[in-house]
Amino acid sequence: MNKVYINAIGVCLPGEPVPNDEIEQHIGKINHQKSRLGPLILRQNKIKQRHYAIDKTGHTQWTGSLLVAEAINHALQNSELMPNEVSFLAAATSQADFLVPGFASMVHGELDLPPVEVASYQSVCASSMMALKNAWLQVKSGEHPNAVVGAGEFASRYFQPGFYENTKLLGEGGQLPMSAEFLRWTLSDGAGAVVLEDRPNRHGHSLEIEWITLRSFANRFKPCMYAGGIQEPITPWGNSFSPEVAYRQGTMTLQQDFKLLSEMLPVWVGEYVKLVEEGKVAIEDMDWFLCHYSTHSLKLELVKLLEKAGCMIPEEKWFNNLYEKGNTGSASMFVMLDELFNQKDLVKGQKIFCVIPESGRSIISFMMLKVV
Amino acid sequence: MATTALNSDIDILIPSLMRQLIQVWGDFDSSLNRVPIIDKLNRGKFRIEDYQLLLLNLRQQVVEGACWISRAASNISEAYFELRSLFIQHAATEHRDFKMLEENYVSVGGILSSIQSQPKNIGSEAFSAYMYHQASRENPFHLLGAMFIIEGLGNRKALELGEKIKEQLELQPEQVSFLLYHGENDESHMEQFDEALRSGFLTEEYVARIVKTAKVTARLYRLQLEELGNY
Repeated sequence: MNKVYINAIGVCLPGEPVPNDEIEQHIGKINHQKSRLGPLILRQNKIKQRHYAIDKTGHTQWTGSLLVAEAINHALQNSELMPNEVSFLAAATSQADFLVPGFASMVHGELDLPPVEVASYQSVCASSMMALKNAWLQVKSGEHPNAVVGAGEFASRYFQPGFYENTKLLGEGGQLPMSAEFLRWTLSDGAGAVVLEDRPNRHGHSLEIEWITLRSFANRFKPCMYAGGIQEPITPWGNSFSPEVAYRQGTMTLQQDFKLLSEMLPVWVGEYVKLVEEGKVAIEDMDWFLCHYSTHSLKLELVKLLEKAGCMIPEEKWFNNLYEKGNTGSASMFVMLDELFNQKDLVKGQKIFCVIPESGRSIISFMMLKVV
Repeated sequence: MATTALNSDIDILIPSLMRQLIQVWGDFDSSLNRVPIIDKLNRGKFRIEDYQLLLLNLRQQVVEGACWISRAASNISEAYFELRSLFIQHAATEHRDFKMLEENYVSVGGILSSIQSQPKNIGSEAFSAYMYHQASRENPFHLLGAMFIIEGLGNRKALELGEKIKEQLELQPEQVSFLLYHGENDESHMEQFDEALRSGFLTEEYVARIVKTAKVTARLYRLQLEELGNY
């Protein structure tokens, strides 16, 4: 089995950073009314700025595939691998551009690469880890000498008023419920990509992938963060036999069930504690802790649970750029790794512990990297 | 009187030719930065395998350089025997260069028999076929356009590439001598180029043919660098 290294990382965060008071210029106002919940949500998530692929006039030149392709191009620019040598491409997103064909095909179509093997991953934040794990195994097994993994979200297009207006979701006074408004004010656009090879870089550091785990608890939970259907009883939009009916029921919007989310936290923390008990993770050996969380308030709850379990990771090891880069869903782990790898002074031998929980229907993924 | 008229013609034709060739060169030189292997070198990401691949793909064309110049010389008529001498001389100074290239290849872990038996890549095939075809025509002075590009590469570009490769791969100068040697020694070839232009054959028609030959040579040379490894 080969050792596998992350040799280059790139991101695409479209446009200039957007401050809190300009959000509605990009995502629009439902029924032309200022959101009442927006400011409250911003106080909870503590995100200061983010990027949108839709400009202030409501126009865009981006697609989800283009964002990911741009991130891959940036990663290749940072790489010792030439584009014509790429042999495997995995692409991940929460909501692909088209229903058909697959996302990886659409991304490949935007890139100047040779014919390659592709794999598409649709999940939520952990979709990038599914893509990365497959790519890691492809290179580890010798099936491919290298792989490019891209993940990204163009969330803001679904936050436009047209997806919500004239639907059952709107309450009295035409305002959205928290379940829909929270994500509108928390998620933003962006993509990230990594280049894997069966050898470390000749120039500069590489990140050796020591292991990746991923586990789903969908057998215990209903959909928690969802779009394209009704949560209870589970009704896919297509079962409405008319897109018009599905739209009026509000199924074309992204929603989050907060009660379910809080029920998932102990399960995720439990998985982490198991890793500590098994000796797979030693807090004292860990130099950097990268944990994806959607909002600052969730971090506070996680810290409470970790302290209770006696497995708290010291604050100085935490690294996160949610507050400046926004919550870019599946891209967020790559966006964090990009800043850490390309802008921080990493030292050979340091260990980076990565955690990506996904509330979609409860998934948690862990990864251990070593700086070489 | 005839000689005076010719001189004044040359004083117009040569600057005009040089202005056009410099434009062709400028376009070629900057477009090389878009070639993946050169882009990678410019980004500081060069690997030893890249250097091996470059040498492996350059060798056959370097071997043939002296051959097509010799063929061109054989097609120069008696009236221009001085120019023929220049071509022969040029071929002679070039025709052992590939030995240095082979030594460089072996010094970075390459196998001699591999580079010697390596077929041309598809870009080199096109490049070589074009050169032999042009060299087979009568009085092929338009090949001076090809020489301008190839010598320009040796004169200006090779040293730049060689220095970067030496630095990024932490090599000794003798492991990059083919590129570094070209950079240091091709200036005398450019003097010969000027001498050739002044030898009395230059007409407006030749100026146009030289420029076109330079353009095609530049495009095909870039093609052979774009097609590294595609045999």
